[in-house]
Amino acid sequence: MFLSIFQAIEATGLSTWIRESDSVFSFWFILSVHAIGMGLLVGASVLIGLRILGLAPDLPIAPLKRFYRFIWVGFWIQVASGLLLLIGYPTKSLTNPLFYVKLTLIGLALTSMQMLRNRVFADANLSEAAMMAEGRVFAVWALIFWVGAVTAGRLLAYTYTVLTA
Amino acid sequence: MNLAHIHLLLNHWPIIGAFVGLFLFLVAFLANSDDLKQASLAFFTLIALLTIPTYFSGDVANEVLRESSTQLPKELVNTHQGAALLSLVFMELTGGLALIGLWQFSRMSRPAPVPVARWNFTLVLILSIVTAGMMTATGNTGGAIRHPEILSAEDAASAVGAIGSKIVPSVSHFVTASSRWVWPVLETLHFLGLILIVAAIGGLNLRLLGFVKDLPVAPLHRLLPWGIAGLVINIITGILFFVGMPFFYAWNPLFHLKMAGVVVAGATLVLFNCTSAFRSWATLGPGEDPPAVAKFIAASSLILWLVIIVLGRYLPLTQESLRAGP
Repeated sequence: MFLSIFQAIEATGLSTWIRESDSVFSFWFILSVHAIGMGLLVGASVLIGLRILGLAPDLPIAPLKRFYRFIWVGFWIQVASGLLLLIGYPTKSLTNPLFYVKLTLIGLALTSMQMLRNRVFADANLSEAAMMAEGRVFAVWALIFWVGAVTAGRLLAYTYTVLTA
Repeated sequence: MNLAHIHLLLNHWPIIGAFVGLFLFLVAFLANSDDLKQASLAFFTLIALLTIPTYFSGDVANEVLRESSTQLPKELVNTHQGAALLSLVFMELTGGLALIGLWQFSRMSRPAPVPVARWNFTLVLILSIVTAGMMTATGNTGGAIRHPEILSAEDAASAVGAIGSKIVPSVSHFVTASSRWVWPVLETLHFLGLILIVAAIGGLNLRLLGFVKDLPVAPLHRLLPWGIAGLVINIITGILFFVGMPFFYAWNPLFHLKMAGVVVAGATLVLFNCTSAFRSWATLGPGEDPPAVAKFIAASSLILWLVIIVLGRYLPLTQESLRAGP
């Protein structure tokens, strides 16, 4: 039943275009955008995380809140490019258990980053030492989940069992 | 002119550079001149960047020679490749450590003149001596390929040469055939390295461009070694990809462009962010703007890294069209 849905998606013009078009803006372009979005999303998270964990101690923490903007811009780039990739190869992604692991890890990483934001950046009166103490556990988990999500995403290219229905 | 000319154009630089760099480095420390120390460390890193296209163009040179009518000493070519691979890896490690040593000169948190950390000096010294030794072997075997008249019989069949000729095949086997997981794990590391580069180098450049202006520049600059670590991870994993599937990369024009981008972006990092030239910008406090030239350099660096990512992602596509033929 699922396979017939995948088949229907793969038969659409958009899906076929993403997979088979000779245009430079099809599959590999979307994949490039997905890589740059990853850099923004995870790169900004890593910067915030490393500072909370005590690196570059003379970097003021409060203004790092601005990096959440890059996280969200990166996130929406990933949603858009990720959806297009999914439309191109629904069977390849959705029949691979690792794909769901990847989505779960992304969800957990984003939740950790949001909890970090609520604990550390919401209260302007917090001292830097208190910020680091409060945020530490969320920074550690966010970094672990991001590394896991990137790993799972990269392995998707090597672990699928069916390419198209 | 074909791509083999690139190899001939470049191949003397890393060898001579390794020795000139070592000489400069020793003189700088004996004379205790900070300017000379910076010059020697920057020289090492620039030579390390140049060594990348030198190695990669060697594969093309080999194929061009094989297709020509001249008889190639196959064992010697293999030994040359093995020595070249070791030289390349040691040169990159030397360059990465030299860059971190150089970065210490651009730090604001230490008073000028900045002493280079002792561990860094020792490591760069040891690694550069090893590199110079490897480069000698690479130069000897490489020269002998085209000049068999200077080769004596026992040179070709030496025990070291026999080991050397096994290096590239065994690394290649490790990357592509030993386990189906080696390549995916290396790809994952390559992406994690990319994230470190974007976080540390991209973050600093965004600040210089005025995006997160309420951050002071100096402490962001202190995170640069994480970007350097990412760059070294990606160069090493990239070398392993190339050794695993040279036919995938050697003739690919997008790969050539990507490598040119890495050399230029790397040189930008070395010359503008890691020498004392950065000190005047590092003092910028919250809300302050750097001069236009700093913004220009930051924007160029940012765009170059993005182009490098995009070119890297397009490599498989061109491979498909190359296979299909014109």
